[in-house]
Amino acid sequence: MFNAEFILQTVISALLMGSIYALVAVGLCLIWGLMEIVNFAHGEMLMLGMFSAFWMYTLYHIDPIISLPLCMAILFLIGVATYFIVIKKILQAPFLAQILATFGLGIFLRYLAQFMWSPDFRMIQNPALAGRLRFGEIFIGIPELTASVISVISFVLLYLFITKTETGYALLATSEDRDAACLMGINSDKMYALGWGIGAACLGIAGALISNFYYVFPEVGFPFALVAYVAVALGGFGSIPGSFIAAIIIGLVEGVGGLIAPAFKYTFVFIIYLLVVFIRPQGLWGRY
Amino acid sequence: MALLEVQELSKNFGGLAANYQINLQVYEGEIVGLIGPNGAGKTTLFNCIAGFYPPSQGIVRFKGKDITGLPPNKICRFGIARTFQLVRVFKDMTVLDNVRAGAFFRSNRGIQAKNKALGVLDFCGLSSKKNMLAGGLTIADKKRLQFANALATEPSFLLLDEAMAGLNQTEVAEAIDLVKRVQQAGITILLVEHVMEVVMPISNRVVVLNYGKKIAEDVPEKVINNEEVIKAYLGDKYHASHRAH
Amino acid sequence: MGRNKEREIWLAIGGIFLLIYPFIFTLPFPQHIMIMIFLYASMGLAWNMIGGYAGQIALGNAVFFGIGAYTSSLMLMKLGVSPWVGMLVGGIISVIISFGIGYPCFKLAGHYFAIATIAIGEIAQHWFLNWDWAGSAVGLKLPILPESFIYFEFHKSKLPYYYIAFGIFLLTISCTYWMDRSKLGCYFRAIKGDQEAARSLGIDVARYKFYALAMSAFFTSICGSFYAQYVLFIDPDSVFPLMLSIIVCLIATLGGVGTVWGPVIGAFFLIPVSEFTRIYFGGGGKGTDLIIYGFLIVLISIYQPFGVIGLSKLFKKRETA
Repeated sequence: MFNAEFILQTVISALLMGSIYALVAVGLCLIWGLMEIVNFAHGEMLMLGMFSAFWMYTLYHIDPIISLPLCMAILFLIGVATYFIVIKKILQAPFLAQILATFGLGIFLRYLAQFMWSPDFRMIQNPALAGRLRFGEIFIGIPELTASVISVISFVLLYLFITKTETGYALLATSEDRDAACLMGINSDKMYALGWGIGAACLGIAGALISNFYYVFPEVGFPFALVAYVAVALGGFGSIPGSFIAAIIIGLVEGVGGLIAPAFKYTFVFIIYLLVVFIRPQGLWGRY
Repeated sequence: MALLEVQELSKNFGGLAANYQINLQVYEGEIVGLIGPNGAGKTTLFNCIAGFYPPSQGIVRFKGKDITGLPPNKICRFGIARTFQLVRVFKDMTVLDNVRAGAFFRSNRGIQAKNKALGVLDFCGLSSKKNMLAGGLTIADKKRLQFANALATEPSFLLLDEAMAGLNQTEVAEAIDLVKRVQQAGITILLVEHVMEVVMPISNRVVVLNYGKKIAEDVPEKVINNEEVIKAYLGDKYHASHRAH
Repeated sequence: MGRNKEREIWLAIGGIFLLIYPFIFTLPFPQHIMIMIFLYASMGLAWNMIGGYAGQIALGNAVFFGIGAYTSSLMLMKLGVSPWVGMLVGGIISVIISFGIGYPCFKLAGHYFAIATIAIGEIAQHWFLNWDWAGSAVGLKLPILPESFIYFEFHKSKLPYYYIAFGIFLLTISCTYWMDRSKLGCYFRAIKGDQEAARSLGIDVARYKFYALAMSAFFTSICGSFYAQYVLFIDPDSVFPLMLSIIVCLIATLGGVGTVWGPVIGAFFLIPVSEFTRIYFGGGGKGTDLIIYGFLIVLISIYQPFGVIGLSKLFKKRETA
């Protein structure tokens, strides 16, 4: 059963999924590194990204590949709005309030979606990206491959933005030391809002990409978010490239774990999380 | 025999030697001042003694017993208490509750602890504020509260880390008075201080650190005039120019 | 002095009211609501011990609920043992497991600790979903036995369930009250306030965190056993879900963390609200009550993280000012 090709197939699929996870994780990492707040509504925002693509397809016949920039923009706005409406008010709040705020937001969004759009599983029926490529006995789905490629490109663009542009530097500075950045004339409020916007925008892109080949339903975000949390912890607090690589590793673990014991593949992911934080709390590439 | 004995204590952080082969004795009933320019390693030495982190080398002995590297809560059992440079009190607890947290160390029962706490509050002049939330106190009162918390654990040895920083003249005078009364109550004190007007009058002896090493140890009057000490604080050039006169 | 007397009178009135409640409201539904309030109040109080007092935001308490439910049920079904014994055994097992959880997790701080507890909760749920001997995803349908106290089954009315739930509630709140005034409570608050400062006062922080989690585990577990006997059906999705862990945290936060009455107030408010929204907005898995939960959670976090009790303290301050 476990011949070489089968394993290779699994590994390749896992790597593709991993790069998509990575895009999801990067957004989380940005926010976490910027202001030490974990966005527990991350999965639900991804879900909104997916639904954006779905509805644009269903109602306006816009293919997800074309609506991708729109989804990105919509989620960017949602991220910024979240910052101003919720996050800004809990920056100084006790820790419990910070956790509960985003958790509550996630619950609110998830069940609102369920209320408005029902819990049914939806699927984009005829996306432009369809079919698969064949290399011998290995099949690679075109939607998955495209999603993976665009995820990597997005990540590289994001990384370049953060490390090579002035605004990106400002973001880095704010995440390192907010007060010092303020003294340099960097408006930390704007930086935080930008951080949330970009973090959510990543989810818009990822959502549009995933909707090409994955079911869309209100609870879809949760497993992706779970992987994202683990990836950010594994990669290391505040390290964006770290979370990218970590997400790919986790994609691999999930894929291979799914081979060994499909029912427990998320358990494997969680166990990795626990191992990482106990043995190397600062993650593989973390600052602390 | 010294109450507290520090032998060849060194502490390295990565490549930096924050403390280097420090030898120190504090005898029962003394007040010893620990001074030195910024970055000399005073708080590091404190943290090594108080168990915040273990020293890289060397031994700390208290009442003859080796306490090197023990965690803070075990050190407390030996009778050593400390205050922190950046004052640490329990902001969301009342003043009385704060001191109870210290008092429960030796008294297991609620009534005992409460009475002890009230007594300590009285000693420190905080009785009138006992039901206030610690977070709402002035900085001077917070320092007094921190002091009271430490006293409530019934220490025989007290480590005071910059207890006077940020206080105005009246507050400093009150703090000095408190420290003296604590000494009269039989508690030995090792204090780190920047404010010279405080350290010199109350210390029996003064120890000076610079760049992690001990450079002088003597009675206050002699330390002030010590060449090395002056150089450490004011720089070689100043010393040289003054010598020339 | 006057205020204390006033409080005692209110307490007495409340107590008497709750005692005769099932005779005033004789229909099963209002009795059921009060039973749920007692149950959730107890779980909220239990969470409060580790989360509100000791300040460790654990989001995996459902583990203990599930262990309690499964232990007493399995012991009844496989060994014929009285659920009361099962309840006690479940509590003990939960305490032991809490040590296993605490040992590695207490080294973590903040978000990492919270996510670790979530991870453990999820692992437990997956484990039971796939454990055939314990019924896996299908769950356990408890046998319907003749009415008896020993076997914890009552069919003619909800009254015995009501008083047992009330008893559990009284037990939990008494324990909280005692803890609040004792050395334990003081140390918990100190740990929550500033761990390093607590250590310098001789507090063995690790040990007291264990105590807090163990207490929390025990009481949550008892509630799980009660639930199993009350509903006579359990499955991993009903006793191990993340939502449950969040709800018990929410209940304590809504009323006021770190206080004796906070979780009680929270439960008295939240449970009726959730039951009524479930009715009025229709069931059918639409989860409308959860929309309100979510909204409420965000509201509380932003405006009054200290809960209702925090609000009332604000009012008192304004009065005396």
